[in-house]
Amino acid sequence: MRPGYVAAVFVKEWRDIVSNRLLLGAVIFPALVFAAIPTGLVAFIQVNDLDPQQLGTIRDYLNDFPNVPEKLAAQGFIITNFMAYFLLIPAMVPMAIATQSVIGEKVARSLEPQLATPLEVSELLTGKTLAAALPAITATWLVYVGYGLINGAIADPRLTRFVFSDVWLVAMGTLVPLICLFSVLLGIVVSSRVNDPRTAQQIGGFVVIPIIAVAVAQFFGGEPTFTLTQVWIGNLLVAALIGVALAIGSWAFDRETILTRLG
Amino acid sequence: MILVDGLHKRFGRVEAVYGMSFAVGDGEIFGLLGPNGAGKTTTVRMLAGLIAPTDGSATVNGHSLGEGSQRIRGLSGILTESPGLHDKLTARQNLAYYGRLYGLRGAPLAAAVERYLGVVGMSEHADRRVSGFSKGMRQKIAIARALLHEPEVIYLDEPTSGLDPSAAKTVRDFVATLRELGRSIVVCTHNLDEAERLCDRIGIMRGTLLRVDTPAALRRHGRAATVRVELNGARGPSSFLDGLASLPFVQGAQPRDTAMLVELADPALETPDLVAHLVAAGARITGVREEAATLEEVYLELVGEAGERDRPTSAASDPATEEAP
Repeated sequence: MRPGYVAAVFVKEWRDIVSNRLLLGAVIFPALVFAAIPTGLVAFIQVNDLDPQQLGTIRDYLNDFPNVPEKLAAQGFIITNFMAYFLLIPAMVPMAIATQSVIGEKVARSLEPQLATPLEVSELLTGKTLAAALPAITATWLVYVGYGLINGAIADPRLTRFVFSDVWLVAMGTLVPLICLFSVLLGIVVSSRVNDPRTAQQIGGFVVIPIIAVAVAQFFGGEPTFTLTQVWIGNLLVAALIGVALAIGSWAFDRETILTRLG
Repeated sequence: MILVDGLHKRFGRVEAVYGMSFAVGDGEIFGLLGPNGAGKTTTVRMLAGLIAPTDGSATVNGHSLGEGSQRIRGLSGILTESPGLHDKLTARQNLAYYGRLYGLRGAPLAAAVERYLGVVGMSEHADRRVSGFSKGMRQKIAIARALLHEPEVIYLDEPTSGLDPSAAKTVRDFVATLRELGRSIVVCTHNLDEAERLCDRIGIMRGTLLRVDTPAALRRHGRAATVRVELNGARGPSSFLDGLASLPFVQGAQPRDTAMLVELADPALETPDLVAHLVAAGARITGVREEAATLEEVYLELVGEAGERDRPTSAASDPATEEAP
């Protein structure tokens, strides 16, 4: 694989993304929403006294924050519990970009002229994958850092430590890029079979279901956040799914298949 | 130089192309004429190293299809059936992107982009996004893209499609200059007039090549050329027939109203002698012209005959062979 060719595809894709305001909105908006809701709740608790009756419903979870005041424990519970939803950003955003990219090329019939150059299919796909994944990874990491710092600033500095825990640093460093990669590959594979970006995103949308299920399950399971073991198991599962998606993708994106089926 | 020997492409059970053999020399423009689904695009895709043939072989400037496909793609320029531009990018960015994919970098890349924007008359639109371009403007950028890296072999699929007559002439003239530079050029077209004006030789195909020849020879379709001699005077055309029978190069003659139709093997060489003989015999000649079938008539006849014959499998029944297999 030749870096210069991958870089050429990456730059072209990046220009495409930057010039597409709707797509940029799809990158930025979910990240801001996932951060704004818990931050708003934390701020609300900070300026208002806690209602002991409401606190009762989450009292069991507060035991996971020993040696801190109840108010801070409640805030800690909220910010850590919502962080599972941050994993939706790398699941949703790259898929939106990848499907838009592949289906856009199908509609414009611009794959053939690219494949008529010395560019290899692997270089084309790597460039597309990087261009789709990097905005999502960057957005997730920026929101994560901002989330930790802002909540620490508006409430209590100890909240920053809850956000930048070992578990979440590992999750952000490993699980987020893996989910991004899987999401892009799934988006590319699904896009090769349909001609409408919305249909592709709906089909590919099943990738977010396990993440939501895990987030809900951890809540009802009495855990405010993941454990390190769960993060590593998650890494292994997503890596296995990437292997499957790569196998399907290498078949779906053979040069001849692209030309005869995707145009 | 393109050498094609028994090229064959099957998609599943459908024979899209079979038994294709021809050669295109340096500095030659070779036209591929055929109806939709005839396999023109499939043939070009194979020769441009985009898809692999099922059987047969071909070399492009000494590189064989298969192991040499990446090199072939590097030395080929292809104008695809659809311009296939990137709408969100400007004309300049589109060309620069493809220049990089063909290995150009830095100053040579910038110079090539500027040069070809100028060649197709699009310099003043260079920094506009192509999403706002007309069909003709897109076609011009696609042509520039195909030529940007100075390819040795060029494939043009409907090169003047969507262009106004003036732009179409510019493109035809430019293609002719590429011939002068020694490039091998293959043109796929439905436009018979364009094929006749542009191509040195034409291959009429429907799954396979039905006939390859120069436009003039194709128009004669294997028959002797007929020269029509218009007469004016007291003597009718029948009175000259006996005299014509004594000329060794005349293959046949018959009267038609006030004219006579004379069959010659080589009209360019033999017409002056024919005229001299008739004048010496007292004929008053008002006009002489060669009568030949139009390329359209020959094309329809050949393609129609081929359509009636059985092909290995009907390509028309499979959407995969509809010009984009």
